[in-house]
Amino acid sequence: MKFLLRLLTWWNGQTLGTQVYTWRKGVRVGEDVEGNIYYRTRDDKRRWVIYNGVCEPSRISADWNGWLHHTYADAPSDVPMPRKGWELPHQANLSGTPGAYAPAGSLRRAAPVERRDYEAWQPE
Amino acid sequence: MANLRKLIIDGIEVEVDPALTLIQAAEVAGIEVPRFCYHERLSVAGNCRMCLVEVVGGPPKPAASCAMQVKDLRPGPNGEPAVVKTNTPMVKRAREGVMEFLLLNHPLDCPICDQGGECDLQDQAMAYGVDFSRSREAKRASTDLNLGPLVATAMTRCISCTRCVRFTSEVAGITQMGQTGRGEDAEVTSYLGLTLDSNLQGNIIDLCPVGALTSKPYAFTARPWELTKVESIDVMDGLGANIRVDVKGREVMRIVPRNHDGVNEEWISDKSRFIWDGLRRQRLDTPYVREAGKLRKASWAEALAAAAKAMKGKKVLGLVGDLVQTEAAFALKALVEGLGGAVECRVDGARLPAGNRSAYVGTAKIEDIDSAKGILLIGTDPRNESPVLNARIRKAWVAGAEVGLIGKAVDLTYAYHHFGTDRAALLAHAKLAEEAAPDTGPGIVIVGQGAINEADGEAVLAQAMRIAAARKAKLLVLHTAAGRVGAMDVGATAEGGLIEATKGVEVIYNLGADEVEIARGPLVIYQGSHGDRGAMRADIILPAAAYTEEDGLFVNTEGRPQLAYRAGFAPGAAKENWAILRALSAELGAKQPWDSLTGLRRALVAAHPHLGEIDAVAENGWQALPLRDLGKADFRLVVKDFYLTNPIARASTVMAECSALAASRGSQPMAAE
Repeated sequence: MKFLLRLLTWWNGQTLGTQVYTWRKGVRVGEDVEGNIYYRTRDDKRRWVIYNGVCEPSRISADWNGWLHHTYADAPSDVPMPRKGWELPHQANLSGTPGAYAPAGSLRRAAPVERRDYEAWQPE
Repeated sequence: MANLRKLIIDGIEVEVDPALTLIQAAEVAGIEVPRFCYHERLSVAGNCRMCLVEVVGGPPKPAASCAMQVKDLRPGPNGEPAVVKTNTPMVKRAREGVMEFLLLNHPLDCPICDQGGECDLQDQAMAYGVDFSRSREAKRASTDLNLGPLVATAMTRCISCTRCVRFTSEVAGITQMGQTGRGEDAEVTSYLGLTLDSNLQGNIIDLCPVGALTSKPYAFTARPWELTKVESIDVMDGLGANIRVDVKGREVMRIVPRNHDGVNEEWISDKSRFIWDGLRRQRLDTPYVREAGKLRKASWAEALAAAAKAMKGKKVLGLVGDLVQTEAAFALKALVEGLGGAVECRVDGARLPAGNRSAYVGTAKIEDIDSAKGILLIGTDPRNESPVLNARIRKAWVAGAEVGLIGKAVDLTYAYHHFGTDRAALLAHAKLAEEAAPDTGPGIVIVGQGAINEADGEAVLAQAMRIAAARKAKLLVLHTAAGRVGAMDVGATAEGGLIEATKGVEVIYNLGADEVEIARGPLVIYQGSHGDRGAMRADIILPAAAYTEEDGLFVNTEGRPQLAYRAGFAPGAAKENWAILRALSAELGAKQPWDSLTGLRRALVAAHPHLGEIDAVAENGWQALPLRDLGKADFRLVVKDFYLTNPIARASTVMAECSALAASRGSQPMAAE
C-alpha cells in the first residue's frame, strides 16, 4: 500500500524521481520536530524538503521556511533562531480540516454556545 | 396669508406665501431639491450649496434656494411670475461642482460607516457625483471628539453642514458645540472638549446627513436595510413621542423618532432613543411562585392557579404601573372590580381628581405651547420630566413668550421669571392673577407631578386652575407616566387614593408598578416585563411583554390616544398583558367577554368613546376644583434621575452610564482649569 501510494501520488512523502535525485545530489542538512528532512545540493544552489507524510507546505516552521528560501545561510539545526518566551509552537494551517477554528457559537462545534438574545432576571 | 405670490418652478405654477424660501416653494410644487445643511426646524445656514437653483432673469450665477425667499424674486418685465429652474444643465453642473468639493475631503469608508445605506451624501452622490477624482492632495485629517456615551464621532466624514451646532444651540439650548477655523481648517468641535450636557443630544445623530455623528450603542450592529421598521409610541415619559422601532430578528436594534407636529415634532429624548438595551436585560421570562420564602420557576398553569387561589374571596387591590397599556388597565379594572376590589393607578400619590378630565389632563394641547405668550410652570422641571416638551417651551420662548416658574429653580436652557419655590408663592401669584390680570395673549399653565403628589396636591391643582381661569389661559398637567392618563380615563382609581386603598388589603395585584413601596403583609402578584422592585417584593410573578412587544393604546399627557404596535415577541414564556389578565379571569371563573385584543378594544371604546378617536385630542369641559388650604412646604421635583425613571431604564447599561456621567459632570474640572 505504502509503495503504491509512493508510486502513484505526489502528495505523500517523496516521489520516485525525488528519491533518485536526492540519492544522487542531496546532502542531508537536518530534520525538524515533525520529522521533515531537509536537503541541499553540494554547491548549496538548491534546497529542498522531503515531508514526513502529507506534502503540506504550512507544516514547515518559519525558521526552516527561511532557510529553504535562502533567506538564512545557516540551517536552523546548526544555528537555531532566537525564540521568545511567548512564541507558540508552530502549527500547520488547519483550514478545511476538522481541526479548523470555529467561533464559540458556530454550528461546526460539537456543543455550540447557546445564543441568548436577552438576559433573564434571576431571583435573589 | 393674504398676499400669495405666484412663481413658476420647472414649468409648474405655484402660489405661495412670499416668506417661504425657494426650497419650500419647490416642495409645494412637488420638487425635491437636494440639500445637506438646510433643515425645516433649524435656522438657515446656506453653507453646503447643494440646493443651488437657477433663477431666470436673476444674476448669472446659481442661487442657494434654501437662503432665498420667494419675495426676493423679481417678476418678469411685464409682471409675469418669476421663473425658477431646478433641473437645467447649469444647475446640474453647479451641483456636481459642489459635490466634488464635498467629496474632496470625505473619506471613502462607506463600507465601514454606520450611516451607509441611509446617508444623504451617498444618495446624492449617485445623482451628482463624478466617478473619478481630480484631487492629488491628501485628504484633510481631523481628530474625533468625545461627545459622551451616546454620540460616536468620525470627524473626517464631516461636511461642515453645522446642523448639529444649530440643533444643540437652538433646540436643545446647550452651548458645547461650535465651528472653529476657516477654509480647510474649519471644523465642528465641542468647546474645550466637553461632552454634551443635554438629554436631547441623540437627535444630532439623525440630523447629521453623513456618518460623522453616529449612535455609539448601535455602532456596527446592523445595517438599515436588514431592519424591520415598526411605527410605535414611546412610553418613557408622558409625552407619547412617535417613534419607529427597528428590529432584527427578535431584538430591538434601535429607536428613532417619527414626525408628529402635534406631539414631538421630530425629536425624541435620549431615554426614548437609547433605552433598547434595557429591553434585553433583567427580563422576566418565566412565571415564578414563592415557596418557603424563595421564588421558584413555575409553569403558567401553576402560577395562574396559585394567583386565582390567592385572589378568590380576598380583598384585592390592583395597582396600575407607569408603562401599562390602557387596554390592560381596563381589563385589570374589570377583573379586580369583579372580585369586589379596587384599582389604583396614581401609584406615586398624585392627587389627580378622578372623573374631572379638565383637571387631570388639562385643556391645552401641546401645540398650544407654540403660540402661547405666557407660560407658567408649577412644581415641574420639564427638562427632565419631558425633554422634548421643554424644547417646545424653549421654542415659544425664542419666539417671545414669557416663562414663569414656581418651584425649584432649575436650569431649563432658557431664561424664566422665578416667582418662588413654595406654596405661598403660588397663592400670591394666584391672587395677583385674579386681581390684575393683564391681557398678555394666549397663556398656558403647566403643572408638574411634583406639585400635586403630596397631601395638598388637589389644593395646588385648584390654585393652578384658578390662575388659568383668571388669566384665560389653558391648563396642561404634565404627566411623567405614559400609562397614567389612559388609566385615569378608564377610571382605574380608588376612593381616597393609594393610602386609603391599601388599608386592610389582603392581596395586591401589581400590574407593572415598580415605583411604589409595598409594605409587608399583603400577598403580591406582580405582572410585568422586568425584574425590578416589583418583582423583588412579589409572591407570584407573571411575566409580561414590554411596550415594544405588544400592541397597545397610550394616552399622552395632553389626552391624545395613540396606538403603539408590536415590534417583536416577548422573551421566553412571557405573554401579552391583556392575555394574562384574560387567562387569569378564566381561572377565577369570571371569564372576560373578549378573546382577542380587538374584542377588548371594542369593549374599551364602547365604555369610553373618546379613546376610539385615535390621534385626536378631546375637548375637556372646564370643571374648577374647590379651593382648599395649601400646605407650607416647597415644591419638590418628581424626577430624581432622568435616566433611571422606570424598570426598563434601570436595566439599561447605557442609561446607567449616562446617569453616572450626569452625576459626575458637576465635579469634573474644565479643560482650561
